[in-house]
Amino acid sequence: MLEIQQVSFAYPGHAPVLKNVSLSIQAGEFIGLAGRNGSGKTTLTRLMVGLGKPASGQVMLDGKPAKDGGPAVMARSVGYVFQNPDRQIFRDTVASEVAYGPEQMDWSDDERQAAVDDALAMTGLIEVAQAYPRGLARSFRQRIAIASALALKPRLLILDEPTSGQDAEEKKQLMQLLGKLNRQGIGVILVTHDMEMLLEHTRRTVVLHQGEKVYDGPTQELFADPAHDVGVWGLRVPDVAAIAAKFTKITGAVRSVEELAASINQQLGGKTDEKPGASV
Amino acid sequence: MKSLAPLCNLLLTIAVSVWTVLIWDPASLAAMLAVQIALLAYAGQLRKLLKGLFGLLMVAAFFSVIQLPFDVAVPIAVASGLKMMVMTVAVLLMLGTTRLPSLTAALVSQVKIPYEYAFMFTSALRFMPDFIAESHAVREAQICRGYVQSRNPLKRIVAYAALVEPMVLRAITRSETMAMSLELRGFGGARRTFTQQIAFAGRDYLVLALIAVITAAVIRYR
Repeated sequence: MLEIQQVSFAYPGHAPVLKNVSLSIQAGEFIGLAGRNGSGKTTLTRLMVGLGKPASGQVMLDGKPAKDGGPAVMARSVGYVFQNPDRQIFRDTVASEVAYGPEQMDWSDDERQAAVDDALAMTGLIEVAQAYPRGLARSFRQRIAIASALALKPRLLILDEPTSGQDAEEKKQLMQLLGKLNRQGIGVILVTHDMEMLLEHTRRTVVLHQGEKVYDGPTQELFADPAHDVGVWGLRVPDVAAIAAKFTKITGAVRSVEELAASINQQLGGKTDEKPGASV
Repeated sequence: MKSLAPLCNLLLTIAVSVWTVLIWDPASLAAMLAVQIALLAYAGQLRKLLKGLFGLLMVAAFFSVIQLPFDVAVPIAVASGLKMMVMTVAVLLMLGTTRLPSLTAALVSQVKIPYEYAFMFTSALRFMPDFIAESHAVREAQICRGYVQSRNPLKRIVAYAALVEPMVLRAITRSETMAMSLELRGFGGARRTFTQQIAFAGRDYLVLALIAVITAAVIRYR
């Protein structure tokens, strides 16, 4: 659905931020985008939604150049959730905040209301629909930002480090929400520095290093193959993957603590309620 | 200007503004602007400010042209636009060549302005770039939700609420955080000292003398 073709980009007077990056994103994928600070992750996602123009190459949406529509039109297909939700929240209630996007579209009142109701339901915000958004916790404000993007019914959602400033439980709930949205057919691109999250939730990871794409493949393989220089790329092998690698009899996919525990229990002959993702 | 005392730079800026108010000759104003631009280039600030200066030129040109239908003479209209540019560039020059903490120290120690007011003044200048960056970020966030600038001026004003309100709310939050952080670092203590070197040197007195001479000449020959 979204094609990044040989894209390069540089800010005026500075070294190139992106160098000939190509990427093909299919509908319904759950992709992680990783790399050091300054590797070009945010720049790439900004180009995906039309917030910048590539110096060379192009971004294609459904086979057409994305630049034809501009970001406001792109928002109907590709939703963007910024790291800081407070930069967009300005209305008195959660429902009216979420309704801002649909109000900008040429939709009927019924369509707008349905879009807001759906977005609130998808993100679990119905109970706080009439609350003052800025009075809610950060995790709720992040959900409001996600609901605001969803209200325009995008097929792909890009989230720039959405779990920053959240505690472990809030992170878990947010990732469960993204998993649910993905199962409903919405593609997700997650920009993150959290390697555990990357391994557990994404099936494909793209790694940028000094503006170049250095890896694009299954997340599991990124950490399992010692040939990948993850340290140089500013990444870290998650503990779960590192421990699993030490157990030579675990040969399949281990993405979470639960899967690792299940695999070890099975290897030791013990019973477990967890269904292992790995084969032992 | 970088080697002048901060207060001398401030006085020079005020003097330039006074001369600009008094002078109505477009050629003289253009010459002042040319000198300022040369100084900006010498101070290494011109490239950074080029885009902004172009925008300022457009505003000044518009300001000049808009006066013509009201029977304002062309030289006066041109002079008005030039005055606007010269005054703005004078402030830019001062900000580009004076460290704000030093300016605060000069305002408090030499002009005897209460520290709280001097700090407020320089902080406001210090946060302008942040405020501009913030407004850019807010605008992008709303564009990603479908915000488009309408051609209808009334609709455009209403739509600005989506940009202005988050910015104001963020500014309030930021100022509260800053106030707390300042108090935690002893802001408002009984006695305030400064480490900055703000005392006048020989060149500062020379510049002050030049300011006095030029001001007298401008008043005499305007």
